[in-house]
Amino acid sequence: MMLTLSSKEMELVRSTLDREPNEAEWKVVDALWSEHCSYKSSKTFLRSLPTTGQGVIMSVEDWQDAGAVDVGDGWALVLKVESHNHPSAVDPYNGAATGVGGILRDIISKGARPIALLDMIRVGGLDAKGKWLLKNIIAGIASYGNSVGVPVVGGELSFDPTYTDNPLVDVACVGVVKASEIVPSVVRTPGLKLVLVGFTGLDGIGGASFASRKLSGMDEIGAVQIADPFAGKILIDATLEVRGKVEAMKDLGGGGLAVAVTEMANGLGARVQLERVPLRVKGMSPEEIIISETQERMLFAVKSENVQEVCRAFEDYNYPCEVIGEIVSEPRITFTYEGKVVVDLPSQLLLSPPLFVWPMNRKVRTEEVKEVSVREALSTILLHPDLGNKEWAYSQFDYEVGVSTLVKPGQADSAVIELPNGRQIAVKGDANQDLCEVDAYECGKAIVAEAFRNLASVGARGIAAVDHLQFGDPRKPEVYQDFVDSIRGISEAAKFFSVPIVGGKVSFHNEDKNGNPIKPTPLIVMAGLVEGKYLKPRVEEGWLVLLGITRNELRGTLFSRLFGGRGEVARARLMEDLLASELIIKAINESKLTWNKDINKGGLAGSLLPILASGHAVHINTKAVIGTRDLLSILFSESGGRFLVLTDDPHWFHIQASRKGIVASTIGKVTKGKASLFLDDVELPLEREVERYLNMLEEELS
Amino acid sequence: MRTAVLKFPGTTCEEDVVKALRLVKAEAEVVKFNSFDPDRYQGVVIPGGFSFGDYLRAGTIAANSEAMKGVREMADQGKLVLGICNGFQILVESGILKGALLPNLKLRFITKWTYVRVSRKDTPFTRGIKDVLLMPIAHAEGRYYLEDEEEARELAVFQYSNPSGLVVEEVNPNGSVQNVAGIANQAGNVIGLMPHPERASFSKLTPDGSTDGLEILRVFGK
Repeated sequence: MMLTLSSKEMELVRSTLDREPNEAEWKVVDALWSEHCSYKSSKTFLRSLPTTGQGVIMSVEDWQDAGAVDVGDGWALVLKVESHNHPSAVDPYNGAATGVGGILRDIISKGARPIALLDMIRVGGLDAKGKWLLKNIIAGIASYGNSVGVPVVGGELSFDPTYTDNPLVDVACVGVVKASEIVPSVVRTPGLKLVLVGFTGLDGIGGASFASRKLSGMDEIGAVQIADPFAGKILIDATLEVRGKVEAMKDLGGGGLAVAVTEMANGLGARVQLERVPLRVKGMSPEEIIISETQERMLFAVKSENVQEVCRAFEDYNYPCEVIGEIVSEPRITFTYEGKVVVDLPSQLLLSPPLFVWPMNRKVRTEEVKEVSVREALSTILLHPDLGNKEWAYSQFDYEVGVSTLVKPGQADSAVIELPNGRQIAVKGDANQDLCEVDAYECGKAIVAEAFRNLASVGARGIAAVDHLQFGDPRKPEVYQDFVDSIRGISEAAKFFSVPIVGGKVSFHNEDKNGNPIKPTPLIVMAGLVEGKYLKPRVEEGWLVLLGITRNELRGTLFSRLFGGRGEVARARLMEDLLASELIIKAINESKLTWNKDINKGGLAGSLLPILASGHAVHINTKAVIGTRDLLSILFSESGGRFLVLTDDPHWFHIQASRKGIVASTIGKVTKGKASLFLDDVELPLEREVERYLNMLEEELS
Repeated sequence: MRTAVLKFPGTTCEEDVVKALRLVKAEAEVVKFNSFDPDRYQGVVIPGGFSFGDYLRAGTIAANSEAMKGVREMADQGKLVLGICNGFQILVESGILKGALLPNLKLRFITKWTYVRVSRKDTPFTRGIKDVLLMPIAHAEGRYYLEDEEEARELAVFQYSNPSGLVVEEVNPNGSVQNVAGIANQAGNVIGLMPHPERASFSKLTPDGSTDGLEILRVFGK
């Protein structure tokens, strides 16, 4: 197994200990100090994210855990996002499935019941490799989510050559728990018994380090964990049964027992007897037991008198449950095997990896501009799989289970779910690699704004978010600068919208096989509470009103990915996003619209697809679009702060917009009929594009 | 009616079914597979999910459990037995209902709202109900198979149809013979179906505000 520690870090370990650690100890330090577990290259800047605010019940502690916000009547919403990029590149089915298993355990380890999952997936394209990846990623997510009865209610799917060698598989989960019943992940007192549930096997050896370096191209299948969703379901059911009887809970993720025990002890000490760990296979070495990342395991800190009761719930399902050690006051982490000391390290050393601030440098960007006609651009954009109908993917998910999915996948830009207290939340995940590639700072702001608009489009106001920051190698100055810039953008927007970032994750070392970083891909998952009514959008005949200003902002867009950059970079003017979102929520509550969509990928043209695909024609008067006369910008600009609205009362929007200090313009109408766009009365037939939009993924992937 | 909603390890829909059954005033409760006493109940529902992970084959491990002996007793006594999705698979695997449920023709999991025609109204579940119901399916192994197609048609209680109740091949979501979505035993007291009535029981969750699932579940409220 490769270690990822640098020679400097190794020197620091030796000098702190004043001795040479043994092999097992090196592996423990390597796991704890891995980028994946320690956030050593990111923590300095992550601390600048606004993590507190009104309604925050629990924010990130050391950037490890899920955060929680108040959703009324004593209930808390728990939110977390994570990726499984490297495992999914090697074994997409198990990589994606274990990603789901891991995020579910993050939620249940707070004592919360998972109620919805989201998946955000990025692959290189619809070539043979992309298809293989995508089919298996979706099947893996479906297999796990469906088996445990948690609905996958939404997500994103994007195709960009930047992800050819390094796909991104992000999963997010929301759960609910009574705020008074949240279970901490760290202990405060010695004497508690450490109880491990689940078998430990040989899969996922060294996974935390695997995630913390670039893919080697060598045989790395041993570092991938294997999913067992049935065991996962038992773990969820039994853990929620016993949550009131445990003092702390932690799931076993990256770094296995080494990390879970050390982090749970949180500066206190722990003594673990490795021979007590229930094994799936015979003959595992003590070191393997310590760092194995076998899924479907949990670690509990339990008072002695409650151990029997906790284990009974698991034994009911024939699920292994063993006391493997205890929390002690002496601040050392000690693993023994049949009486022999295997690892004996100070807690403080393990919890204090050196933090890094790497050099930064601005990336030089050159873009080739391709000449293109409006007609050709329109066809190419409307046929792009990023905009295609995603039914092929979401129909593989059991999104109705739980009888609480009110607005379902494919119906709107956000899903709406009913909570146990009768209120509704909307959730959505957003990233934008095109914009981040040209301006990571504006992009950081823009993805927060987009998520906020997506929630507003169904009637919800954002209350909390988690972020996932996916970049190349942080030691490369251009990568690190983008990383820092994107955090600054996210922070500013989160502060502006009063949407605290209650948790998150960082994934570095996402590179292609030549060592080129992926386009920066920070991602935001936001949850919002419905204010009054929610909207199930439906396309009907009516007037098309465009809220907001369309600017000549074609750089950092889907258009520029295909035809090169023209005009300017789309800057996030957050006030426009906020005011337009508030107006949409008001309109939903006063039943002034039947359908709306925030304008993003593919610009105005892209947002017409769901209308055209529902048996309607669209008429647009380009002179009525406020902000530009350039036809390419009118159709494809991705300026923020805009919504397209279908209404029978356009006048109401004009008045309300003007009162709020934003603009609304009636730019056309929607009529029943075949899929055509009438652009200033010139008919552009789009039946072929719409046919392809509806069936592209089904045809390519069935 | 005192109704047990059976939970095997891996069952996922038990709470949803209880929630729907309470709407029709059934005395419903979740009962774990290892503490099920058939004599205490007049009716039993086997809900959907992935019992025992659907290892070996969907429903087959649960079908061989002690709990299913109890279900068979209830079936033989003429009590009401309803299997939904995985519950249907378990009833078929245990031989209480005829036929088999094979992998969907597309070889993948499919969630979809489907119309079914009610083809038999001589069962306690379907007496006097509407001709066409709207309910969602969500399964990977729901292709009903019985060698004798004529018999399949006779047993069929629900057949995938278009919105006006015509049983046509275009709307067959999984390749079932005769578009079979659900069948009953000869007596009609045991029914299994792939669509989920509990998910079609709340108007805010259905595409058109209907609550057709309650039509089937209502019998447990009597």
